[in-house]
Amino acid sequence: MTDASAIEGLIARTALKDRAAFQALYAATSAKLFGVCLRVLKDRAEAEDALQEVFVKIWHRADRYRVTGHSPMTWLITVARNSAIDRLRKRPRESGGVDVEDLALSDPAPGPEAQAVASGEAARIAGCLDELEQDRAAAVRGAYLEGETYADLARRFDVPINTMRTWLRRSLMKLKECLTA
Amino acid sequence: MSDRPDISPEDSAEAAEYALGLLSGSERSAFEARLASDADLRAELAAWQSRFAEIAMSEVEEVTPPARVEKALLERLFPAPEARPGWIERFGLARLYGAVFLLAALLLWVVIDLPPRPAYPPENAAYSAQIAAEDGSLVVIAQYDAARGELYLERQEGDARPGRDLELWLIAGEEAPISLGVLNRDQGRERLALAPELEMALSDGVLAISDEPRGGSPTGSPTGDVLAVGAVSEV
Repeated sequence: MTDASAIEGLIARTALKDRAAFQALYAATSAKLFGVCLRVLKDRAEAEDALQEVFVKIWHRADRYRVTGHSPMTWLITVARNSAIDRLRKRPRESGGVDVEDLALSDPAPGPEAQAVASGEAARIAGCLDELEQDRAAAVRGAYLEGETYADLARRFDVPINTMRTWLRRSLMKLKECLTA
Repeated sequence: MSDRPDISPEDSAEAAEYALGLLSGSERSAFEARLASDADLRAELAAWQSRFAEIAMSEVEEVTPPARVEKALLERLFPAPEARPGWIERFGLARLYGAVFLLAALLLWVVIDLPPRPAYPPENAAYSAQIAAEDGSLVVIAQYDAARGELYLERQEGDARPGRDLELWLIAGEEAPISLGVLNRDQGRERLALAPELEMALSDGVLAISDEPRGGSPTGSPTGDVLAVGAVSEV
């Protein structure tokens, strides 16, 4: 992937309605963002629609990127993830829940090799997630990457919703502690 | 991402829950209200979004989307002129009918109001005259079409001077010259309507062409040089 400052430059030029820059930004980042949409939606056609929507938002909101103070990839991924989650939540729920088998299939925990190739900060989050109990790390990933709600998570781990919430909040604090240590 | 020691664990956890989309509707509204006025909370939210995005950076595989996505995206954002919705979609059928009606009316108006076809000489001219300059630099043939009450004019030689017009006069007996009109600069042939009461005067009159300012004499009498003269005779 193109480095952060290059992507930042492309976003800045996109904010000025530079179509060539926008297309270069698409070329550089669409694979990652499509991966995010696919991970959340688990449906190719829907993920394609979501990706299109994501880049429409990027085109229209590129001028607001700087205000967020994010790194460029954080901003792009957040736009993509939130668009995909919105889509997921609007989906009519059949049989009242997320298919556990589906989740198992789509949620491969990254091996140590994968972590090794990740960038410094990304490697740090992977390492910190690994410090959490396996269930708790899965809950964090489920909430972020699968858009699972507390109700979904409580069902999946077979605990009351309040317990689930306490768990997750505690896990998030541990995660933050690990990352800021 | 800077971390804020001044943020409580509760606020930090709530910011994380907000970033994950885990808050209920009322919790979310309350959090957003605080967010608007609390810069520390906004910074903590941004920090969480950044931390979570790192999960996606490290764990989500890149998947190249099919080319049709980019194509559809670009068509959606930058519609080519020919790809825009057609007339009917953009204006609605009623407006389309309106436009068609307007166009038809315009066309009709143009047809009716078309400049006359090149003037043609009368088949049976009652009177005629050759209005000519002495040196032949200006020669205009005039023929009176009694059936239509029009004077047919054919300029055979000469033009108006630059920035000036030629004006045709009828001089009958001792009367002051009567203006019959300014000659068309662009067409060598034309017809001028003649008031019926002038027909008698024409029969034994003299036609003259004078040099006048654009649009004709401002006084109603010739003001410039008389360039050409010709007596009217019965055909």
